[in-house]
Amino acid sequence: MANKVLVADDELHIIHVVAIKLRNNGYEVITASNGAEAYELACHENPDIVVTDYQMPLLTGIELIEKMRGDDRTRSTPVILLTARSFAITEEMQQQLGVSACLSKPFSPKELLKTIQDLLYQKELVAQS
Amino acid sequence: MRGQRSTIWIATAVAIASLMTAAVMELQDAGGSSEWRAALLRLVVYCAGAVGVIFLGVGYARMAGAVTSMAARLRSGPSSGCDHELPPAFRGLMQTLDERVAEGAEATRRFQTELKDLEIRSQLSERERRHTEAILYSLRDAVIVIDGSDRLLMANPPAAQIFGFDPENVRHRPLAEAIGRTHAGFIELLVQCRRNRTEATKRELEFPQGDRSHTYETIVSCVQTDGKVSGVVAVLHDVTREKEISQMKNDFVSHVSHELKTPLASIMAYSEMLADGEADDEETRKEFYSVIQSQAQRLSRLIEDILNVSRIESGLIKVHKEPASLTILIEDQMQMIRSYAEEKNITVTAGRAIVYDQVQIDKDMISQVIINLLSNAVKYTPAGGRVTIGTEVNGAAGLVRVTVSDTGVGIPENEVNRVFDKFYRVAANNKQAKGTGLGLNLVKQIVEKVHGGRVFVTSTVGVGSTFGFELPLATARQAALV
Repeated sequence: MANKVLVADDELHIIHVVAIKLRNNGYEVITASNGAEAYELACHENPDIVVTDYQMPLLTGIELIEKMRGDDRTRSTPVILLTARSFAITEEMQQQLGVSACLSKPFSPKELLKTIQDLLYQKELVAQS
Repeated sequence: MRGQRSTIWIATAVAIASLMTAAVMELQDAGGSSEWRAALLRLVVYCAGAVGVIFLGVGYARMAGAVTSMAARLRSGPSSGCDHELPPAFRGLMQTLDERVAEGAEATRRFQTELKDLEIRSQLSERERRHTEAILYSLRDAVIVIDGSDRLLMANPPAAQIFGFDPENVRHRPLAEAIGRTHAGFIELLVQCRRNRTEATKRELEFPQGDRSHTYETIVSCVQTDGKVSGVVAVLHDVTREKEISQMKNDFVSHVSHELKTPLASIMAYSEMLADGEADDEETRKEFYSVIQSQAQRLSRLIEDILNVSRIESGLIKVHKEPASLTILIEDQMQMIRSYAEEKNITVTAGRAIVYDQVQIDKDMISQVIINLLSNAVKYTPAGGRVTIGTEVNGAAGLVRVTVSDTGVGIPENEVNRVFDKFYRVAANNKQAKGTGLGLNLVKQIVEKVHGGRVFVTSTVGVGSTFGFELPLATARQAALV
């Protein structure tokens, strides 16, 4: 069964290109164009991993992660943060928020794919142990 | 002196002659021997008396002469050289008197010199005080001076404005009484500075000004004279605007970098996909090329916006004005915005066409103004909302007025006057949509600086906003040149 990836960004072109890259590599992709929609999908669609933009309407990427970490249904879901403001996200903040990885925009779809693969592999190892 | 002596001798001779005459008359009257003796005795007594009177007269005459000489000497001064005419006893007295007078004169001279110096110093001091006061009163920074007993000595108008007092009425009153207990932190700072004899200390303090708080960089210095604290001076520099500009610049860098990186992210991601052969068919490849092209154009527009604001501000932009109809420009821009509005299910309508709305404008620039106002209205209006653009002509005032109204989120009252500021973004609406804070500033610059018009805005939170601008109608001569 294919791993399910939730991609949240208000830039439709970004969602589109990431979705194509992931689908071409065997993933199931669900998408959201704002933070509130992403949170709803994260809670009800049970994605294996979430890729979210930092700046989005209704809920920012940071607020989305905070809400997910406070919800039992999404507490342990790995989250990759895509941001054009990488200078605003320190490693300490990432650890506190429970961000699994942070990629700066502009990003490489190949790099994103590799990060997703690594995180899902780690998640699988943790589940097995 | 000789004249005096002659007078004395004449008086003596007259006195003796008078006495002798009196004695002879006595002797003639006496006749007999016993009477003769008695008469002789009286003659002797008279003579003795006459001689006594003469000597007394001479003594008095001499004294009068000495006093007269002394008076003359006093009048003519020590340099007259007539001291030898004075009796020896008087010469010593005169010398002592001269010395005392000279000492007194010297003391008086010194006193007069000191008095004059003091007057000059006092005038200089007064002049310096007036200069200092003039400087302090012309400063935009607030200045407060207190004495060693924490009483207010001086406060300039900006200080009076911050603390809300009349500077003349509070002079010499205790600081706490003059500026009120609401500024206890500031009072404490000054008092501590005086107690600790702090040479200079700098703090950032907040003071309420109208409906908002202002930040003041406050420098407090203790003034010491001969090791004693004679007062404390506080200078308050309003850094509110500087901080806001700094914050706006930081926000701008943050926003612009985000806005620049977003289309760049699409361009790089799509080109990588193409290079890696992830676009399987021709149709997908075309779609990818199209995205790259549109995102490159977006990037170019953004850079152009930033440069335009900079060019207009520096007066370097090239302006090509010609007569044009605003209604036609509005129609063109509505076509451009329609697809974006439809994506959000927002209706965009225009008022009825106006027969004559010719204005002398740079068409590209005013098109930019219209598209910025329309796209902003659509951006901040929730799905299902409405955007209306209207035009009115005020023939009497020679103005044409364009308004763009929406049923959007609105702008808080305390921020509505700042939306045209460069880089300013309404905090409450940040999540609603992205932006650089340049669009409305560009509108203002183009309308007001380039075309001599006016921008305006009214808004109610939760109801909507109306943005607009006024431009002067083209004159008949300008319009005939079309």
